[in-house]
Amino acid sequence: MTTATQRPTPAPPQVQAEAALFLAVEAELIDDRRYAEWLDVVTDDFTYTVPVPVTPDNPFAPHHDPEALLLDESKDSIRHLWFRRLEADMHEFAWGENPPPQLRHFVTNVRAYLTGDPDELAVRSNVLVVGRRQSDQPKYLSAERFDTLRRGAAGLLLARRHAVLDQTVIDFPQPRVLL
Amino acid sequence: MADASRDVTVPRRVWADEDVHRRELVRIFKTCWQFVAHESEIPEPGDYVTRRIGRDSVIVTRDETGQVRVLLNTCRHRGVPLCRADRGNTSHFRCSYHGWTYANTGELRGVTFQRDVYGKGGIDKSQLGLFQPAQVDSIYGLVFATWDPEAPSLADYLGPMRWYLHTVFGKFDHGLEVVGPPVRTMVRANWKAEGENLSGDGYHTFVTHQSAVELGLFATQHDLAEMAEVTGTRFTGRTVHCGNGHTMRIQRMPLQVKAPAYFGYPKEMWDEFDRNLSEAQREAQSCLSVGHGSVFPNMSFLENFKTNVDKKGDHARYIRITLRYPMGPAMTEQLWFLLQPRHADADWLRLSRLAYLRTNGPAGMFEVDDTENFVGITEAAAGTVAADLPVVLEGGLHHPPTPEEAGWPGDVADGDRTEKTIRAFHGRWQELMA
Ligand code: FES
Ligand SMILES: [Fe+2]
Repeated sequence: MTTATQRPTPAPPQVQAEAALFLAVEAELIDDRRYAEWLDVVTDDFTYTVPVPVTPDNPFAPHHDPEALLLDESKDSIRHLWFRRLEADMHEFAWGENPPPQLRHFVTNVRAYLTGDPDELAVRSNVLVVGRRQSDQPKYLSAERFDTLRRGAAGLLLARRHAVLDQTVIDFPQPRVLL
Repeated sequence: MADASRDVTVPRRVWADEDVHRRELVRIFKTCWQFVAHESEIPEPGDYVTRRIGRDSVIVTRDETGQVRVLLNTCRHRGVPLCRADRGNTSHFRCSYHGWTYANTGELRGVTFQRDVYGKGGIDKSQLGLFQPAQVDSIYGLVFATWDPEAPSLADYLGPMRWYLHTVFGKFDHGLEVVGPPVRTMVRANWKAEGENLSGDGYHTFVTHQSAVELGLFATQHDLAEMAEVTGTRFTGRTVHCGNGHTMRIQRMPLQVKAPAYFGYPKEMWDEFDRNLSEAQREAQSCLSVGHGSVFPNMSFLENFKTNVDKKGDHARYIRITLRYPMGPAMTEQLWFLLQPRHADADWLRLSRLAYLRTNGPAGMFEVDDTENFVGITEAAAGTVAADLPVVLEGGLHHPPTPEEAGWPGDVADGDRTEKTIRAFHGRWQELMA
């Protein structure tokens, strides 16, 4: 938790805008299911984690357990175990994702902060993900994301995403989702 | 034991009918022993977690003397729940409405403004402790409770199932602990759809999970060749009915080994397994591909060997418990627990966690595909015509009983592409619902 004395330094407005645009386009790639392009905007050492939500009795404890994970993925695991089976030759028996669940990301409250590393930004954002399974009414997942964006020769890349859910009991069609 | 459930028939309405659901809550969830928590979740006095037995909310807590207590989560005065969190620590529960205070033994300790409200003699606090199950007991740290004072003891209820629970939970020198709080998901399926599957459906694996197989999460010929010099191509399996609807399925990899080999665990742990298991149990654990089963009605466990879960050659086993609460005929809350051995190597623990999360975790690939079937069964059973149709449950009727020399207790058959355990699950369900 950040205290007043250690408040991080927001990046300058131009960098804020750049980070927000990056996240909007990154979400577009997921929602459009352009998975190969999405892999191009994440670093090779990318990790994706979601901690287990919980309702604590201690009013000062977070609504999740930072030690326990619901999702723990890497670029490789997402490429091989998430996207590969959605390719034309395998999609037929990716039963739970056929027809594919439709996702829509609403990304807001983007805040880019400077870090000790001039090439890295710590970017927090809120996300609402709407998911539709077949003809069912849509379901919603809301979360805060703690991302690391890294600047390379090709511009900004997503190096890390840690997303904290706003729901203790998850009723999304399936919780295997890129928030 | 003979296959007592061979003629069981199941009309599809049991997956979607409101009356059936309400009857289940009384006939099954008010009488059967049910898993509530693992002792490692509440290691210290005052620790508690909130769970359900059927639709009732219960507090599972360790009192100040160290005894595990299960308390109905509703004030004896006028019904407000005492705990609103999933977990915490407290020596007392104080009601938010009029302030009655209970010790974590369940005993009513304090009644606010007692003289004003109840007169000089007060109210008889000894009669107003929190309501508690008739019996609470545990085995391998697994805490069970039942409302039924007439129920057999937990040990008798489990019967031969204890032997199989020992192979999974009893083989570690330092025991197992639950990692973090359980994940809670709400699935639009009847609780029995996943229940019957986890009882021992070895028939669906290569169809439902075809993509998992093709992506190398199931030991490939290449993986097998790295594990043993002599390998075969056909995985073999056995299925067991332990009585009372408790079932087990054990599938083995086609490997020839000279001594029991517990692939998926660090080699340093193999000795303790040899020590803690009988010869027949070592056989049940050696070259294990997957072992899973259910304690009737709603708790299942899974010990699974998964391959190539991070990089190629990264194989590990993990142990999972799932628990299903019937929230409606077509709605189930499922709790997901990962259990890991204490004091194990950190790198292996990480690999075991990845093996779990990426395959049979709440967001794992297997679950995505399984869940679609369970939701589908439930949706289709809501149809008027479909509701009266039976399901076909004849798979594996011809499978031979396992020879007694194997030393596996219960009604055991060779072969796991079968509906043996599913017949057992529904057979027990029908006995209780009759
Ligand atoms: S309802 Fe709990 S004290 Fe009145
Ligand atoms: Fe399955």
